[in-house]
Amino acid sequence: MGAPATEMPSTRAVYPGVQQLGAAYSDATTLGSTDARCVRIGGHVIELRFAGPGLVPCVMPAFSHLTVSPRQEPELVVDIWDSASTGASPPPTPDVDPESPVGAFYFFEDPPIRGVFQPGMQALSVVDLGSDHAWYFVEEPAVLPYWERAAPIRQILHWWMATRGHQQVHSGAVGLPDGGVLLVGKGGSGKSTSALVSLTSELRYAGDDYAMVSLAPQPMVHSLYSSGKVHPDNLARLSHLVSALSNAEQLSTEKGVVFVDQHFPDRMIKGFPLRAIVLPTITGKPHTRVVATSRTAALAALAPSTVFQLHTAGAEALQYMARLVREVPAYVLELGADVSDVPGVLLQLLEDLRSARR
Amino acid sequence: MRCVHCLGGNVRYRVNHPQVINETIDGEAIMINLVTGSYYSLDSVGGEVWGLVEQSLSVDDIVTELGRRYEASEDVIRSAVENLLGQLSHEQLVAHDETRSSALSAPAGPPAAVLLPFRAPTLEKFTDMQDLILLDPVHEVDTRGWPHVPDGRAGN
Repeated sequence: MGAPATEMPSTRAVYPGVQQLGAAYSDATTLGSTDARCVRIGGHVIELRFAGPGLVPCVMPAFSHLTVSPRQEPELVVDIWDSASTGASPPPTPDVDPESPVGAFYFFEDPPIRGVFQPGMQALSVVDLGSDHAWYFVEEPAVLPYWERAAPIRQILHWWMATRGHQQVHSGAVGLPDGGVLLVGKGGSGKSTSALVSLTSELRYAGDDYAMVSLAPQPMVHSLYSSGKVHPDNLARLSHLVSALSNAEQLSTEKGVVFVDQHFPDRMIKGFPLRAIVLPTITGKPHTRVVATSRTAALAALAPSTVFQLHTAGAEALQYMARLVREVPAYVLELGADVSDVPGVLLQLLEDLRSARR
Repeated sequence: MRCVHCLGGNVRYRVNHPQVINETIDGEAIMINLVTGSYYSLDSVGGEVWGLVEQSLSVDDIVTELGRRYEASEDVIRSAVENLLGQLSHEQLVAHDETRSSALSAPAGPPAAVLLPFRAPTLEKFTDMQDLILLDPVHEVDTRGWPHVPDGRAGN
């Protein structure tokens, strides 16, 4: 069994450089149509250049709320292509164990280059942190699982945004322009439900599973993806999402995916100052309430799931999250049987914190 | 589990980096074992012991230091410290440090003005992240390098 490689003794692989990836993308541009979109994440403009139409609908819906004019100078360029829609040969990939589990994750690091290959979806993500250039290749877009479409190029963004002082966290995020909360905890804790039920209120949505955070000059949350995922069993409690599902035909095998910006565009928010870390917990009690908790509990809810979700996050990421946790108060959100009272409880918490700052 | 008692009081431990990452916040420690997928928390007394391990103090010196801070006999403190270090060692969070000189010793200091009541430290273990390691195992690319063109596939 492997382990997050940034923190483990490293067996250096010979890496012949990024030229082969650049050439592979360049070849693909001669075979298929090209497209370029710019998104702004946490104030940083990133250009997504597509060769072939195959991956545009797999990548762009999650970023639609962050799209900006392509005339802006990007800080990072990501070249994105596939074989199916371009006919291009795949770039070289690691020779992996054919018995690898579907989620296996092959990591490569040769500073300033980092890469991962996920054989289960034949997806290759590489970033050159020295030249601020990245490549994302998928052999066949049709096999991309729903979770990858909900959170595309996540590993590239995790690595590159860290060079700009940001940390990706496994967290939902809702709030108002003057402040909001991170919803943290392992899968099944209720963070997606808490985030998505907030669409029925004046709270605004910055994500249900991943968010970017920064510390200076004040703790901030930056939206990454407009997507939200809901377990089919939960749709009865989140009925406002039923008509918005992007994969309604696949609910027997997938979580439902909603691209919030497409259906609730006025509810999206690109970011807000972080006011509190909230730990949703399913209680079975009739009503929802917030109860103050320790910073240690907040770090235990935030950090392990972030570290293991991001695979290659390690000591630096943990240190970053500890700094974040020290900056804001933490609360347990005891989820009641009727989740419709969650937005009101969170709005009251934000109002109480606003009053305390005056 | 390696017997702490058998190693003697001059034994030192070190945090098992890089397999283990850790942070201390408000006196309590959080540790994550990146290989096993388990993570842990230590209460305030345990967090103090952890901090003293990080400072490379020997078991004897850790006991002495806690004796300056807490109202308890040396035997009670030693038993609690050795028990905790045994657990930490069993969980591969710390390892016996054979590189440190046993001549190192804790800086002597007076007892605290007010001794706190002593409570044996508690290590809590959480295993709910292990599934992520099993479902999405992480591998390093082997020494043949990457890119490596698989047989029968045309590269660029």
